[in-house]
Amino acid sequence: MARESRFGPDAALAFSITGLVFAVPAFLLPFVSAGKFGDERVSLLFTGVGALWDNGMHALSVLVFLCGTLLPLALFGAVTVLHAPERFKCQPANVVLLIRAARFLDHWAFPEVQVLAVLVALMKLGSAVNVTIGPGFWCYCAMAAFMLLAQRSLDFESLALPPSALGSAAAPSP
Amino acid sequence: MIRRVPPAWLKANSTAAALALAAAVMLVPANLLPVLTTEASGHNRSDTIYSGAVELWRQGLWAIAIIVFTASIVIPVLKLAGLAWLLLSVRRGAPRDSRRLTRIYAVLDFIGRWSMLDIFLAAFLTGLVQFGEFSTVEPRSGIVAFAAAVVLTVFATQAFDPRVLWPIPEHPSPTAALS
Repeated sequence: MARESRFGPDAALAFSITGLVFAVPAFLLPFVSAGKFGDERVSLLFTGVGALWDNGMHALSVLVFLCGTLLPLALFGAVTVLHAPERFKCQPANVVLLIRAARFLDHWAFPEVQVLAVLVALMKLGSAVNVTIGPGFWCYCAMAAFMLLAQRSLDFESLALPPSALGSAAAPSP
Repeated sequence: MIRRVPPAWLKANSTAAALALAAAVMLVPANLLPVLTTEASGHNRSDTIYSGAVELWRQGLWAIAIIVFTASIVIPVLKLAGLAWLLLSVRRGAPRDSRRLTRIYAVLDFIGRWSMLDIFLAAFLTGLVQFGEFSTVEPRSGIVAFAAAVVLTVFATQAFDPRVLWPIPEHPSPTAALS
């Protein structure tokens, strides 16, 4: 993550704001619809989370919700708050805490894995069910792509932190 | 050069070892218990991770079978084996090939997330395929054990401190005090 951006100094900020914009329709619009013998079923991003919860797998449901939805949003938020000061000349309250949060979130936000899982599932369903990909899925793909770009562009050196702050942020918690 | 590893680093790697061991234990039920039950037109079928990948292969979906097999079986095992290797290298003394071991650690850190594929897959199929008596998919206890194994391996990799892979200078630099 601590790498100079090849897209320019504002790239991380631009990618995270774009990712946040795509997140809204990704969460609200139909993700995938499936039909069998005239029975049509429309699935949203949270449908799987709800189904796991209803099956009594609460911990698994929370894990999927966190890694596929909440933590990617939190990572976008952290990147935006970290990089916005460069553009708007204001300093966030606790930069070190934000950097630690961004490093942690980077390990636990997996939207690209969920995209691959949905593609695998669609191919697996194949002929068994009539599947139509909805706009929510494409928006989610865009969100995942912008998250990868934001991660690649996140440049801690440009945040003008004192070395002690970077050192303590890089160190693992005891 | 002397090898006097700070206690905090050693503690971090003990935590990593404990988490990796717990993940290895969880991988046993994860691979033995069924992860999904599919009911289609009266036929009931329970699949483990392995049998699910094999079934995909039999259906001619080779690419998907390879992806599922790699993400759900190869990567967790590879990650635990790699982590065990790193921990043993540190335990034997100062590793000579620090650069290579650090690269291995970076690879292990990167590939771990792809094991989540099967968990997202189970969640998606459970949510979408609910057509009453025609076709339903339900998650089974194996997927919970698998999720626990994946989460524990990610925590184990995060707990491991790669600084122990490098020789420690006799007179530490001023910046060492910061960490």
